[in-house]
Amino acid sequence: MQSLSKYQQAEVYASEAVVHTVYIDDSKISNIETKVDRGMMARMAEGGRQGKASVSLNRDTSAEECIRMAESVLRYSPESPEFKGYAVPGQARISAPDVWDPKVENITPDDLREIAKVLIENCRVNIPRAQIRVSTNVGCTMNSNGVDVSHRSTLVYGHFTSMAVRDHPGEGMETFHGTHLDLDPVAIAHSLSDKAEAAAVCREFKGSEKLSMILPPSELGDMMMSAVGSAIDGENVKYGRSLWKDSLGKEVASKCLNIIDDPTVRAPLSCVFDDEGTPTERRPIIEGGVLRSFIRDSFCGDSTGNGMRRSSVEAQGAYERTPTIKPLNLTVLPGSLSRDDIIAQTDNGILVEKFAWPEADELTGRFGLNVRCGYIIRKGEIVETINNALLMGNMIDAVANIEAIGNDPKQMGVISVPTMSFSGTELVGN
Amino acid sequence: MMQMAVMQADQVQDHLVSAVDRMQELGAEFSDAKSQTVRVTGVSSLNGNLRQLVEKGTGGVCLRAWVGGRWGYGTVTSFDRNDIMSAAESAVRNALGERKSDLRLEPASVKKHLKADVRIHPDSVDLSEKIDTVLELDKAQAIDDRIINRMGSYSEEIKDNCLVNSVGSDISWQEVRTLCRAMSVAADGQRMERYYDGPDSTLGYEVVKDADIEEIGRVTAKEAIATLSADRAPSGNLTVISDPMVSGLLSHEAMGHASEGDEITKRRSFLTDAVGRKVASDVISMYDNGTVRGAHGSIPFDDEGTPSSCTQIIDHGVYTGYMHSLETASQLGCRPTGNGRAENYGKRTWVRMTNTYFGPGEWDRDELIADTRDGILCDKMVNGMEDPVGGCFEAKCLRGFLIRNGEIVKTLQSFTLTGKSVDILCSADALTKEVILDGGMCGKGIEDWVRVSSGGPYMRARMIVGGGQ
Repeated sequence: MQSLSKYQQAEVYASEAVVHTVYIDDSKISNIETKVDRGMMARMAEGGRQGKASVSLNRDTSAEECIRMAESVLRYSPESPEFKGYAVPGQARISAPDVWDPKVENITPDDLREIAKVLIENCRVNIPRAQIRVSTNVGCTMNSNGVDVSHRSTLVYGHFTSMAVRDHPGEGMETFHGTHLDLDPVAIAHSLSDKAEAAAVCREFKGSEKLSMILPPSELGDMMMSAVGSAIDGENVKYGRSLWKDSLGKEVASKCLNIIDDPTVRAPLSCVFDDEGTPTERRPIIEGGVLRSFIRDSFCGDSTGNGMRRSSVEAQGAYERTPTIKPLNLTVLPGSLSRDDIIAQTDNGILVEKFAWPEADELTGRFGLNVRCGYIIRKGEIVETINNALLMGNMIDAVANIEAIGNDPKQMGVISVPTMSFSGTELVGN
Repeated sequence: MMQMAVMQADQVQDHLVSAVDRMQELGAEFSDAKSQTVRVTGVSSLNGNLRQLVEKGTGGVCLRAWVGGRWGYGTVTSFDRNDIMSAAESAVRNALGERKSDLRLEPASVKKHLKADVRIHPDSVDLSEKIDTVLELDKAQAIDDRIINRMGSYSEEIKDNCLVNSVGSDISWQEVRTLCRAMSVAADGQRMERYYDGPDSTLGYEVVKDADIEEIGRVTAKEAIATLSADRAPSGNLTVISDPMVSGLLSHEAMGHASEGDEITKRRSFLTDAVGRKVASDVISMYDNGTVRGAHGSIPFDDEGTPSSCTQIIDHGVYTGYMHSLETASQLGCRPTGNGRAENYGKRTWVRMTNTYFGPGEWDRDELIADTRDGILCDKMVNGMEDPVGGCFEAKCLRGFLIRNGEIVKTLQSFTLTGKSVDILCSADALTKEVILDGGMCGKGIEDWVRVSSGGPYMRARMIVGGGQ
């Protein structure tokens, strides 16, 4: 920081990650990786001009080079009225969440092999592709306003696929997002087996119909993030591209929907200070369907402590990323119904086991998604398993048409969601 | 900066050779060592102001050891000899354990040192000129009050690679990629739509010099506004004319991923054992070609040191072959095709596409539209998803046009295409003469993003169409 003291404002972020990954291909351990990744980003500002550069710390001179590169950028940077300054120091508003697992810090290749072996041995079907990645992630932010904070966390991420051949080939998928090594390889293996076997007896859906959509956490997490996460993003609000830009204090969702951004609990990005050094807090986003808050970083201004460089799945390369607005742990408060209860109260619907890729358009909320495996529900019962159809709707409309919220929340990256049911979607087949 | 990268590669070369020797001493049956530096300059604007201006310089070394049919990796962001040797030992340790197989890899020994094939190296262009280009792209979009967001962006990536292995390969090469984009968001009340355009390539700054920046910005904004009055697309099994971008998405998602050698060796792909089988109509031929000059996915060598090549995947409707890494080529008794790729030095190397496209047909675009009674013409893609297991695909289109009695009658908002890949390609009956490639990023599963391009001509086929509300 000393060499940056001549600038009006300056900031340094540095991070180190140690990452161990085991890959499974075709129900066999194919690779094990060990990575050590260190780097930094320097930012400085003069008036409305900003210089910024990042490097991996691969030589003794890397830090000096980083600052020289940032200074060079500063010389060329035109003034921008949008720049508000870097984070200002603040007192911690929450106590430190439990995001460090010593078992991750001390893991060995043999430990990873053992977890992978248990997974493989307990899966009734083939595992064509899977990976388990565990990391330690240590970072610090210092700036000329007096911010001097550090953070450390562990990250455990798993992505698993399975394949069975019955009437035809079918594929299952599972993910694990967490901070502790508490993934249960036996449970994951059983779920993978069930999902692949179900997908292998799907029949192709024909025709089209309007029906309710029931999404489990695995499919709903990314859908919620792409639509709701985008609508509450302060930069989208500022530049007029959020559909909720004029909706603060207004009803935007069904009354049963309550969402908080909660960095106080075990979750991949839970922290006391964000990656710019702004204190975080437990923030109500939607209460009883009413929009209560947007989220912001320091570039957007009036930061809510949501300026993040770190990723919820990948510890490597945090220093390369400029802070952007990101929820810390967007939590949809669960309801009281089990998934079976939700199915039983559905007259005409589809429970989607797997989309090709669950996402809604960030600008419009629209979606048209290929259903890889879904269960058609008539009068409260599953009557058939289908695939190869498009489920269409709008996620911003869907949160205003919630029929039920389940009691089975699951962490999916930076969001925790339970199973939920929505009305007003359309299924189209061949 | 360029000088620095070259010096660094020279210094590291000796360490790489020592690391390979060490891995062999420790029991590796084959090993390789790769150093990489990646320099990125990124400039972006929003509504006339600079949003991002950043330079990045990352680099590290990846060591791989092959023991008993499995890889062990050791990766460090360090060029220090001790760190590299320690990572080499980690790589062998990670590969040890119960033998998976006795498979032997058979890489060729290659010695070559290549510079980037560019006319104007981005290093020779002042940063101020790049900033001016972005601001010009931004300003050109200011054609109407309904454009609420004008975005311009420029990025260049310069990768310097150095690879040695235990069969004596000694290779270095530079990859340069240049990209320029305009994106407009238009709004009318609560309705919002967007449009984008801009060139990309493995060429140098000539990509920007040769482009009409003002025209790109203006047209992008104009088309975003036009999309505000678009209707919802019809749903069902319809006749679709994919534009080159969406044709590329079909080639990439519907057939490309399923033709990656590792999907075949695992028997995860619906194209396993498909060589010689009819999988498309006679008008369809398809290629993965890493040697197309200037295309975004072109590479002189893959990340295992195999020279890139052109793999024919479909020949007039008949399936002809797969893409390979060293490992899958050995498993299937084939030659490696130069498709063993990694996102960067810190990521896994496995079978990935380069430039994937359908070959040309004989029609003109206007002739094809005039010949279509009822259908949809696609205009630009959003993204897509493969399904090697089920043989389906998903392609999201940014917008399209409704065709009635051979004429475009309406603009359509974003919609999705899906269906069984083989059924769709067997229904293809007409392709246009010109093949256009479009650059982008490809993830495998959920990550490991590599730079690719995909493309083709306009193509008419039957697909399931559905539009969001």
